[in-house]
Amino acid sequence: MSEVTMPRLSDTMEEGTISHWLKKPGDEIKKGDTLAEIETDKATMDLEAYEAGTLQEIKVQEGETVPIGQVVAIIGSGAAVQQPTPATTTASTDGNGHREAATVSAAETSPQSNSPVVDGKSRTIKSSPLARRMAEEHAIDLSQVQGTGPNGRIVRDDIEDVLEQRSTSPAPAPISTGEPAPAPKPAAPPQEVAALATPPSIQPAETEVTKLSRVRMLIARRLTESKQTIPHFYVSSEVDMTDALVLRQTLNADIGDDGVKVTVNDMIVKACALALEKFPEVNSSIKEDQLITYKHINVGFAADVPTGLVVPVIRDTNIKGVRSIARESKALIAKARANKLAPTDLEGGTFSVSNLGMIDASSFIAVINPPQVAILAVAATRKQFVPVDGQPVIRAMMQMTLSADHRVLYGATVARFLQEVKRLLQNPFNLLG
Amino acid sequence: MTEITYRQALHDALREEMLSDENVFLLGEEIGIFEGSYKITAGLLKEFGPRRVVDTPIVENGFIGMATGAAMLGLRPIVEVMTINFIILAMDEIVNHAAKIYSMFGGQCPIPLVIRTPGGGGNQLAATHSQNLEVWFAHVPGLKVVAPSTPADAKALLHASVRDNNPVIFLENLALYNTKGEVPTTVAPIPIGKAKVTKEGADLTVISYSRMAAVALDVARRMEQENHVSIEVVDLRSLRPLDYETILASVRKTNRAIVFEEDWRSYGIGAEIAATLQEEAFDDLDAPIKRVASLEVPLPYSKPLELATLTGAKQLIEAINELIPRRRRASS
Repeated sequence: MSEVTMPRLSDTMEEGTISHWLKKPGDEIKKGDTLAEIETDKATMDLEAYEAGTLQEIKVQEGETVPIGQVVAIIGSGAAVQQPTPATTTASTDGNGHREAATVSAAETSPQSNSPVVDGKSRTIKSSPLARRMAEEHAIDLSQVQGTGPNGRIVRDDIEDVLEQRSTSPAPAPISTGEPAPAPKPAAPPQEVAALATPPSIQPAETEVTKLSRVRMLIARRLTESKQTIPHFYVSSEVDMTDALVLRQTLNADIGDDGVKVTVNDMIVKACALALEKFPEVNSSIKEDQLITYKHINVGFAADVPTGLVVPVIRDTNIKGVRSIARESKALIAKARANKLAPTDLEGGTFSVSNLGMIDASSFIAVINPPQVAILAVAATRKQFVPVDGQPVIRAMMQMTLSADHRVLYGATVARFLQEVKRLLQNPFNLLG
Repeated sequence: MTEITYRQALHDALREEMLSDENVFLLGEEIGIFEGSYKITAGLLKEFGPRRVVDTPIVENGFIGMATGAAMLGLRPIVEVMTINFIILAMDEIVNHAAKIYSMFGGQCPIPLVIRTPGGGGNQLAATHSQNLEVWFAHVPGLKVVAPSTPADAKALLHASVRDNNPVIFLENLALYNTKGEVPTTVAPIPIGKAKVTKEGADLTVISYSRMAAVALDVARRMEQENHVSIEVVDLRSLRPLDYETILASVRKTNRAIVFEEDWRSYGIGAEIAATLQEEAFDDLDAPIKRVASLEVPLPYSKPLELATLTGAKQLIEAINELIPRRRRASS
């Protein structure tokens, strides 16, 4: 028998959430099988089995968060398979005593005692009328059922899954087929909501409460920390992108079907990396009374993904060609969209670029991504009349704003850094060096 | 039992009704000498003479008004309107007179009038000659609307319509006239207002009528063979009165439903059925009712555009694949 513990999957990881079990008690496990998906502060990763055997017991339910090292499952010979147990007993790591306790608590949870809860909760859970009726008839707690219908709606199929599992499971335990046991529901009953200082027009029925994922909670904490502790200041500049766009077009002509197109963002990332070579203080961190200047230049770029904000990093950006940067950033975006970024994809950034140009932002300012000291906000490129030799000429103009940490950087340095970025983009052949 | 076409079934029913009741007579455009635009009345002028097979001028409001008057005086007229598109000219006669006279004047005279007319598109007849307007009439109390999909039902329902003492809109379909089916040698009239489960199934119900009911049955049979999904098909046969009992019983069994209709989706038969299902069978529904209908544009003349606009088997199969419950999908 062996214990499966919450692994340390990154340097900064202290705890992990079981987002999804891929095996259930009784399943045969081969070495290397993926047992579950774990959500850490950085990414979603697989929990692999290091031992073969039968998955005997799941000790941490989906949606629960435990510190690294805690036992999350037991792999054994298959003699005593345990069904998923209620959340309250997971703190114990003592196999035998724990299993007894679990059996008792499961037996106490009779269908009858469950049904009032079903009534109370089902109003906020998306479910078909038929599924609700069936759940009531069979005393199934809908908050314990994962919906597979449109928009996660619980439908007859899902209830039938539960019933099937019930009929094949030996214990009379309440069945959990999926998603988080801690119900992400509005916690307060109506009268308590009324007691709070909520605007009278917002009735509970008019709000939808969603529990933040760990990644989003982390983003929220970091951004708050950044804005509260870092004295931000901002310097803007306007770049004539006309020549850069022409170069980009040239680079992308005749690349064939399997070629990777260079984006404006790739060129900006490259320009920043080259400018950072000249201004190492922008490529730094502050730690108490020390200024740490990095030898490597690793530029991260903010990617727009459904799960939140991620900033994958392109290492040694300054020594990579624009085409390599394009290839790497394309791969990173694909990974980010599939929620498959590894911690190594997100670590080690020394400077960041946030580009909202493709979403038509005319200008904006970004929040510094600590421990970095600067981030460049890039807006849309627009055709504008600009005076050239006293005549109005249409040029492709782009606003960019650098947010800088005033503890480390001062206005003049930042302005010169921006001037260098601008010079590189306006003489884009420098990017190909 | 013989296999005959839908056209033949209609012809036979007309002839039999004319033989059995001398008050029954036909009128319409080109139904006599020309034997009808779709040859339903072939041979009847020769057999019954011009007093009982009346060729009319091209005046829909005129001859439908005339038929209404004849019905008031005890005759049993059967009007052929060349296609449902031309019936619009006679809306006042149908909606304000035929449908109202019995109840407005103290039940003094019933209106035993039948208006036969084909709907449907798909023959490149363009926007004004390809419509499905049956829902206009299904909306009006005082009318009955029937829409059979098979030769046997066409014959039985035409018998029933002629013998009914209310004005009946008898909906045919251009694409059904040549379809064949078994018809018993003697057909008993079937009561108007009874739907038919044309195929039993467990996983979802497709509710349809007229030509689309035939398409639905074909799709359901094919998908059962090829995909092992069990689809129940309900042929409404009558749009007014609508057989809620049969529809509800089916959906209470399968818990999911698609309404499949050739007309436009908004304010259609599907809207009526979906509304009734959620009123009467809310706790039996496992998914929202789906409506599969034609695109909401005047039907284009161009063949590719016409094909893209009209609904059909492809659209129904897509909807079934979307709606079929996960556990009932074939794993293969």
